[in-house]
Amino acid sequence: MSKPTHLSKADIEAFGREIDAVRDEVKNDLGERDARYIRSILKTQRYSEVAGRALLMAGFLPPAWLSGVGLLSLSKILENMEIGHNVMHGQWDWMNDPAIDSATYDWDNTCPAHQWKHSHNYMHHTFTNIVDLDRDVGYGILRMSEDQAWRPQHLAQPLTAATLATFFQWGVALHDLEVERLGKDKTLKEAAVQAREIWAKARKQVLKDYVLFPALAGPMFAPVLAGNVTANLNRNLWSFLIIFCGHFTDEVEMFDVEETREETRGQWYLRQLLGSSNLTGSVPFHILSGHLSYQIEHHLFPDMPSHRYREVAPKIQEICERYGLNYNTGPLTKQFGGVVKRILRMSLPHRRKRNTLKPTTSTDAPVYAEAA
Amino acid sequence: MNPVMKKVLGSSVVSALTSPLSVDDYLALIDGRLSLSEPRGRVTHAVRQTPDSVTLVIEPNDNWQGHRPGQHVLLGVDLDGVRHSRCFSVASAPNEKSLEITVKRNGDGRVSNYLVDRAQRGQLVYLSPAEGEFYPEAKTAARALLLSAGSGITPVMSVLRHWITRGELHDVVFIHYARTQADMIYAAELQDLARRHGGLRVETVFTADGGERISEASLMRLVPDLGERETWLCGPAGFMDMAEPLVTAHSSAPLHREQFAATRRDSAQGEGAVQFLKSDIAASGESGSLLEVAEGAGLKPNYGCRMGICHACKCRVAEGSVRDLRTNRVREVRDTDIQLCIHAAAGDVAVEL
Repeated sequence: MSKPTHLSKADIEAFGREIDAVRDEVKNDLGERDARYIRSILKTQRYSEVAGRALLMAGFLPPAWLSGVGLLSLSKILENMEIGHNVMHGQWDWMNDPAIDSATYDWDNTCPAHQWKHSHNYMHHTFTNIVDLDRDVGYGILRMSEDQAWRPQHLAQPLTAATLATFFQWGVALHDLEVERLGKDKTLKEAAVQAREIWAKARKQVLKDYVLFPALAGPMFAPVLAGNVTANLNRNLWSFLIIFCGHFTDEVEMFDVEETREETRGQWYLRQLLGSSNLTGSVPFHILSGHLSYQIEHHLFPDMPSHRYREVAPKIQEICERYGLNYNTGPLTKQFGGVVKRILRMSLPHRRKRNTLKPTTSTDAPVYAEAA
Repeated sequence: MNPVMKKVLGSSVVSALTSPLSVDDYLALIDGRLSLSEPRGRVTHAVRQTPDSVTLVIEPNDNWQGHRPGQHVLLGVDLDGVRHSRCFSVASAPNEKSLEITVKRNGDGRVSNYLVDRAQRGQLVYLSPAEGEFYPEAKTAARALLLSAGSGITPVMSVLRHWITRGELHDVVFIHYARTQADMIYAAELQDLARRHGGLRVETVFTADGGERISEASLMRLVPDLGERETWLCGPAGFMDMAEPLVTAHSSAPLHREQFAATRRDSAQGEGAVQFLKSDIAASGESGSLLEVAEGAGLKPNYGCRMGICHACKCRVAEGSVRDLRTNRVREVRDTDIQLCIHAAAGDVAVEL
C-alpha cells in the first residue's frame, strides 16, 4: 500500500467532513454511560493494585508472588494505558472531575506529566509520522523510515529496540530532553532544568516501588522488591509492544515536511489514518492496550473517551472503504511481525526510496502527487 | 474519620506510598464522602416543602469547617456524568451538626431542577468551604429588618435562627415576598416562631394573590421605623434593585445584602474581539461571558459555579477592556486575574488561555 493518489482535494475535504461528523455525534452523546465506564476502570485499577501489593507481602509463597505480580502489572498497565495516557489527552475533561482532569492528573510513570503532554499530545499527535518533526519516529535512537539517514550504529538497532522495550518508561521519561538538539537549537541549561524535573518525578516511583513498599514488607523485602521490578518491567514490555504496533507496522506511511506543508483539516485526518495501524482483539485486550489498539481512531480523535473508539471504528472503516483508503488493521502477531521486519530492514543501509508519483499540474490534483 | 487514622493517612509516608495518586483516590473506593481535605457530604433528608422546592439536610464529612449564619456554599453534584456546582445559602444555624439548604426550581438551572426533582437520601454532594460576607457580627443590633423575596429567604432564615438559638432575638421585623402562599418555603416554621417569640413580627406578601409589590409606601407602612433598623436584604436581582434604594433612602443604619442565585444580568453580551493567547485562537466577544466565548471557541477553561462565586475560572488577562456582568462596570485591565464567568469583553481582550 502506498499513499493514495486517486483522491482530489475536494474528495479529501469531504472525507474530513465525514470524520468530523463521527466526532460530533459522539461528543453530543457523552454522559452517564461514559462516566460509569471510566469509574469502573479506576476502581479495577485501584483494587488490583491494593490486592497485588498485599499478595506480594506474602511473596514467599510462589502462587501469592505470581498472582501479586500479575495484579500489580495489570494495575500499572491500566493506569498508564487506559487511565493516565487518556486522561492526559483530555478525554475525560468534560466530566469536570478534578480527579481525572488533564490539567492536574499525574501518572505512575517516570515521565513528568507536563513534558509528556508536550512531546506526545502536541509534537507526536500534531506532526504524526512526519520524519524530523515527529520525534516518536524512532524516538531519536532508532531508524524507522527510509527518509532517516542511515548510520553505522543502526546495525545494532535490534538490540537497541530490545533495550528500549525493557526500560520503556525511562525512554519515555528522557524523550522530551531531545538530546539530538543539544548544542544546536537547545541549550544544556534548558535540558538541565528538564532533567531535574524528570528526576523529581522518577524518584517518587523509585522510592515507592523499590524502597518503601519493600521496607514495609520487612522480612519480605526481597520478594516485594522483585515483584515491583517485574511489574514495572511487564508494563514496559506491554506498552512498547502496543505503541510500536501503532505507527511502525509494515504498511504505515511516513511523510516528509514538504508534503505536509499547509495541510488542511481533511489532509491532516488523512495523514493520521495513513500513519496509524490498529490491532484486532477482544474487549479486555483493547482495554489493556488503553484502546491504542484503535490507534487510527485515537489519532483522528485524541480527546474522545477511549471506549468510544470501539463504537466508531466500524463507521471509520466504512468511510475508508468508500474512499478507497487502506484501513490498516490486523492481529497483534501480524502487526508486531511487521514492526520487527521494519526494525530489521532499517538497520541496514537502503537507497532512499524514490518517489514514484508523477507530478501534475491540475488544480484538482491528488494531494500526495502534488508534493512529489 | 478517626483523627488518629486521619493523621496517619495524611502523613508524608502514606502519600509517598500512593504517589502520584492521592490518598483520596483510594478512599473513594470505600466511600465517596471520605477525603483527607475536601469537604463533601451526603443527603440525609430531602423534604419537599412546596411543589417547586426541596430542603436538603446534608451530613458533611469532618473537613467541613462550619459556616456563619447567612453564608453560602458551593454545592457540586454529578449530572449525566458531568460535575456541576452552584451556590446555595446555608439555612441552618451554625451550631448544628448537619447543614440545611433549600433549593427552588429555577428556569434553566440544571442543578436546582435536578435537586428539586431527584435529590434523595444518600445523594453524594461536593462542598466548598462556606463563603460570603452576609453574616451578623457577634454583637447583634438591637433592632433589625429582615427583607427577602423568593428563595432569598434562606440566608435570612439562617440569620434569624442564629439569633433565636443564641437568645439574641430582641426586635426583628421579617418581611418576605413570595408569589403565592403555596410557593413560600419556611411558612409554617416562621408562623410558629412568630407565635413563640414576642420580639419577632412576620409579614408575608403574596404578589400573585393581590399582595402589593415592594414600594416606598408599602414598605413604610409595614415598617414605619425603618430608619432605626439594620437591614438584611436578599432576593432575586430585580427585587434587590427595587428594595435597596428604598432602604437606603430611609435608613442610614447598616445594610447587608446577599446577591442571591442568578447574580448575573440577562444581557451577558460582550463586544469586540477576544484573543486567546496560549491556544492562538481569536473569537468574537459577542456570544456571552468570556467563559462562554472560550468554550464556544473549543477551549476548556476550568469553571465551577459560573456565577462569580467560586473563582475556579479565574484566568489572567494580558490586556483589554472587560465588563463586570454583575455591575455592568467596564474597566481596563492589564496582567490581571479575572473571573471569566462574570466578565464579558467590552472591547478587544487578550486572555492567557
